[in-house]
Amino acid sequence: MKLDSVLTQILWNRVISVADEAATGLIRTSYSSVVRDFNDFACGLFDVKGNLLAHSTKTTTAFIGVMPYVMRDFLQHFSADALEPGDALITNDPWQGTGHAYDLCIASPIFHRDRIVAYAICIVHHLDVGGRFGTTESKDMYEEGLRLPMLKLYRGGVFDKSIQHIIRENVRAPDKMFGDIRAQIVANNVCGKGLIGMLEDYGLDAGSLHDLSQEISARSERSLRAKIAEVPDGTYENEVTLPTIGSVSGIGIKVALTVAGDSIVIDYAGSSGEVSVAVNTTFNMTRSYSMYPIKLALDPSVPNNEGSFRPVTVRAPEGSLLNCKPPAPTWGRTMVCHNLPEIVFGALAKALPGRIMAGSGSTPLVFTYIRAKRKNGRTHVGIASSMGGLGANARTDGPSCRGFPYNVGNIAIETTENDLPIIYLKKELMPNSGGPGRNRGGLGQEFEFVVADGDLGPDGPMLVGIRGSGRKPESPYPVFGRLGGGVGRGEHLALNGVEIPNGPQQALGPGDRLSMALPGGGGFGNPFEREPERVAHDVALGYVTPQGALDDYGVSVDASGKVDMIETGRKRGVNKGP
Amino acid sequence: MTSYRIGVDIGGTFTDFTLVDDSSGEILVEKCLTTSNQPERAVIEGLRRLRTLRPDALPGAQAVIHATTLLTNVIVERKGALTGLLATEGFRDVLEFAREMRYDIYDPFIEFPVPLVERPLRLGVRERILVDGSVRVPLSEEDVRTAAKIFRERGVQSVAICFLHAYRNAAHERRAREILGSELPGVEVSISSEVHPEPKEYERTSTTVVDAYVKPTAAHYLDKLSGELRTEGYRNNLFVMLSNGGTATAETTKRFPVQAVESGPAAGVEAATHYGRLIGASRLLSFDMGGTTAKLCVVLDGKAARTRSFEVDRVQRFKPGSGIPIAMPVYDLLEMGAGGGSIARVNSLGLLQVGPDSSGSSPGPACYGLGGEDPTVTDCDLALGFLDAGSFLGGEMKLSAERAEEAIRAKLAGPMQVAVVEAAWGVHNLVNETMASAARVHIAEKGQTARNLTLVGFGGAGPVHAIGLARKLGCPRLVIPPLPGVMSAFGLLTAPMAIERPRAVRQLLRDLDLVAIEQWSVELENEAAALLPAASKIDFNRMADIWRIGQDYPLEVEIEGRWSDAGALERIEAAFNAQYALHYGRVDDDTPLEIVTLRVKASQTSSKPAVKPNTQGAGAAPEGMRRVYVPAAGCYEQVRVYVRGHLHSGDRLQGPAIIEERESTTVIDRGDTLTVDSFGCLIVVLAMQEGRP
Repeated sequence: MKLDSVLTQILWNRVISVADEAATGLIRTSYSSVVRDFNDFACGLFDVKGNLLAHSTKTTTAFIGVMPYVMRDFLQHFSADALEPGDALITNDPWQGTGHAYDLCIASPIFHRDRIVAYAICIVHHLDVGGRFGTTESKDMYEEGLRLPMLKLYRGGVFDKSIQHIIRENVRAPDKMFGDIRAQIVANNVCGKGLIGMLEDYGLDAGSLHDLSQEISARSERSLRAKIAEVPDGTYENEVTLPTIGSVSGIGIKVALTVAGDSIVIDYAGSSGEVSVAVNTTFNMTRSYSMYPIKLALDPSVPNNEGSFRPVTVRAPEGSLLNCKPPAPTWGRTMVCHNLPEIVFGALAKALPGRIMAGSGSTPLVFTYIRAKRKNGRTHVGIASSMGGLGANARTDGPSCRGFPYNVGNIAIETTENDLPIIYLKKELMPNSGGPGRNRGGLGQEFEFVVADGDLGPDGPMLVGIRGSGRKPESPYPVFGRLGGGVGRGEHLALNGVEIPNGPQQALGPGDRLSMALPGGGGFGNPFEREPERVAHDVALGYVTPQGALDDYGVSVDASGKVDMIETGRKRGVNKGP
Repeated sequence: MTSYRIGVDIGGTFTDFTLVDDSSGEILVEKCLTTSNQPERAVIEGLRRLRTLRPDALPGAQAVIHATTLLTNVIVERKGALTGLLATEGFRDVLEFAREMRYDIYDPFIEFPVPLVERPLRLGVRERILVDGSVRVPLSEEDVRTAAKIFRERGVQSVAICFLHAYRNAAHERRAREILGSELPGVEVSISSEVHPEPKEYERTSTTVVDAYVKPTAAHYLDKLSGELRTEGYRNNLFVMLSNGGTATAETTKRFPVQAVESGPAAGVEAATHYGRLIGASRLLSFDMGGTTAKLCVVLDGKAARTRSFEVDRVQRFKPGSGIPIAMPVYDLLEMGAGGGSIARVNSLGLLQVGPDSSGSSPGPACYGLGGEDPTVTDCDLALGFLDAGSFLGGEMKLSAERAEEAIRAKLAGPMQVAVVEAAWGVHNLVNETMASAARVHIAEKGQTARNLTLVGFGGAGPVHAIGLARKLGCPRLVIPPLPGVMSAFGLLTAPMAIERPRAVRQLLRDLDLVAIEQWSVELENEAAALLPAASKIDFNRMADIWRIGQDYPLEVEIEGRWSDAGALERIEAAFNAQYALHYGRVDDDTPLEIVTLRVKASQTSSKPAVKPNTQGAGAAPEGMRRVYVPAAGCYEQVRVYVRGHLHSGDRLQGPAIIEERESTTVIDRGDTLTVDSFGCLIVVLAMQEGRP
């Protein structure tokens, strides 16, 4: 088969749509909101040698950069000869997989004419794997639930009864978990079916599929290398101290990003060692979150595959926070690794200011794991998540309430209230929370819920593992703007009106109210250069209060909503901005 | 006795008309330029023209059936009513939160659509209903009145009401509507518990807001049109095609206009499906290319793919999640910004780019001579000789080849330093390639391969581009039905009049009360039947949406016979399991099945109009020759031109050739073979060669 540029493009589109079909199959057969609405999953398609061909468009950011390494490990554990049609492999090992035990990685061989031609993988975040329920307080991985080493979960299309039994006795909501495991099998089945359709349409086999994989990887690699080559050579550094997590303060992350020709080395030497709170990050996650900002800043439009990873090398010292070793506890690793893209941006900003976003309000991701028994005796596990504002950039204001670097959806309030014994009291945009700037940061939000009582309420305590905002006002690493833009604001986490710490588990009862505010994104550029009409428009929409307009932007907006040009001129003349 | 049915389809550029005389089977067609600001003007104009041919057209009409892209355009161009939103206090920003996702994780400059209701008009009122339908906070009527005052002061014309869990208990929404009704006379109100009574507040709010946003426009327009039709002597209901291919009276449509947002494209799909059945092709790719957009739809075994929701006004046309969601059943169409009016330009990278913007009907392509200066796809098709300046619309609309060439030279050929013909062919080929790339993904998503699909090409520009598209996709066979230029309007007459009624059930299959279910089904049938014209026989289809309990996406299972029949449940369970295995493979899952929704479709088959071709003749004879660009040769040649109306069934001709008719032109290339079948369809078998353009 001759892979000219037209055929390559056609087949490239096709493998991406095969991965997208797999994701659709997963969503349509899933038993939980975490998949259907929160979208905490990824589907990937690999060639016969285990090279990533394509991933689903709908996917969480981190899993993209983890998938190739999980697949590689699977293929080292199981030789192709040992696999049959209908087999599926599983692991949730934090080191081989995605950094904590909650994500189940399931891979399946794809057979065509009795031979393996490719592999499919589907990673899904499950809500409970036993152990202590989601908390930063675990001291080691043994407290964090059931660990499944690389195992054969399905044999010839049948769920292994022994493994099923072990899981059933170790987790709190086994039926839901089994339902979603089956949905992952569906995703791999659909992926296989789609791929075989493509092979038949074009008369391809494992060999020519591998050729295709080589070809598109080479094109992706060339494209990224060309973009890297445009960045001036040199070493770009950044160093930050994360806000206090639990009892641990002074967690430092240091990065040196070296651009040499068409390659980049990202080195975290000098960062903190492992910590006693459950936020340690396995290297798979560190690498993935270091690759992502490079792609985003330099070559966003070329689809991701094996070749996209080759020009970038990531290093982190063994046994450090960013390359922890067993038995380090890892549940809340996103409280650390979600900061990496912005830390890399911070280093890159010196070279590429126009392509970098300001910091975002829900970095790291804010969410709550909730577990409760309903009056009917059933245990419910669920997740509630909301986003802060995105950082602004050189071209536009940051959109309000969108996550970065993670990309998960909110679960509808109506769905959450059906899944869990809580009642939302409020969920609204928060004025003045967007970081001021020539382009304003996206707004953050406030929400509050109360634990239901009566028939809708929990039977016994409702356990809540809360990861509130990591953007603390006192933090040396707050939501930062760019080129003179201001920080996003609004961090707040309270139980019944009293501030509580971020990370530890709480036991709530009927009538308890939990409120949280998620900061806005950072601004971009000097806010005193924002056109007064745009500021007045923000005031009209209630994004900025009149006082905020005056203080942050030097713009005076009168009661009718009009800009007072004289007062504005005076204010802006006196004060040229922060 | 004469009995006419009239189809009227308003597109972005043209308004099309078909009239069928059911007593004789005769069909008349008309076409006018769309009058965007007052669409009914073009409608009345076209109907007057029909009347010059049939003076009793309107008094003698049983039904006028209408499809329009008006509502989509109202949303895209943000020309709808000034709309307010009443929400549960504390939740007025649902529209802006959307799903809090980025639709593209690799776009650092990502943007989202501006909500249809601006924030100062999104007002919260004290009330709260819980997930079980119980009331936690009673509705504050005072808050509703305060909101009404603000709406009045701001000149709001339409209000959407969406309270949390209103799908379970609609009392607060209904009471709020009553209050607004007395406080704000003349203002339209849409409530979520009627528009889309399903959980998930964002999708429900978005759908309800769209309904409210287009409602005054729809009401005004449909009233005006109904009035004008009455003045013209029409005595029956005006019918509107809905997005899902069903039909509803203008009165019903006015109540829930959101159901008709995609009405025009649905009519085209109906027509393609009709011809697929006639010619016995079980797998079709319906391809409708008009002045502004092109639409594709996969039709399998006489059924067009459907989906439960769609998006309008995407910020990025091809990126799902970047638009405004509407949770309404609709044909699963791929819509692309590629039409005859699509503007071609040389972009900042020095590369040729076509669309997605269109010159529409005003100013239109440069060759229309209506002031358009940008070269469009139509201008290039004219320069290539595919279209003829003198015979466009049967010669009623003279095109200017000089203006077309001048626009191409000035804006494309000059800057790229190529000949006009190269630029023109570049545009034609590029627009085909753009459509083909998008089509490949869409076809793959439907689990199909182009090689097994018959392309059915229509729309004014469809037959000109269908050959190029079919070749790029690898579709071996192409069908150009009769009257391709007015196919959507024709589809309005071939589609059965149909209406669907749902009822939420939520019961385990094994626990079903079969007597009650049978009773409900009959009630739904009666409800649906009452919405159709009383004239002729009604057929019913029963469906059930079923899932494994705990899932969120059901499969639709056809229910044969009665629920109370012996073995009915076992048959339904087996049908579900078979369908599940087909879609999802073997997964070893025995979770119990739950019936989510019961649905009944009532339809009335009308007599199918068929265009009668000339019977066996002496073989096709060209009317003349003209200078046409032949892609296979890469240059202009003298090419045979046929008049479609003079062809006979059984005629067979070889490409390159041009087949002209009043509303469109079919172009075939060297090596392609065209035959005329007994239904008057042009069937083209493509020459498939490596490296063909």
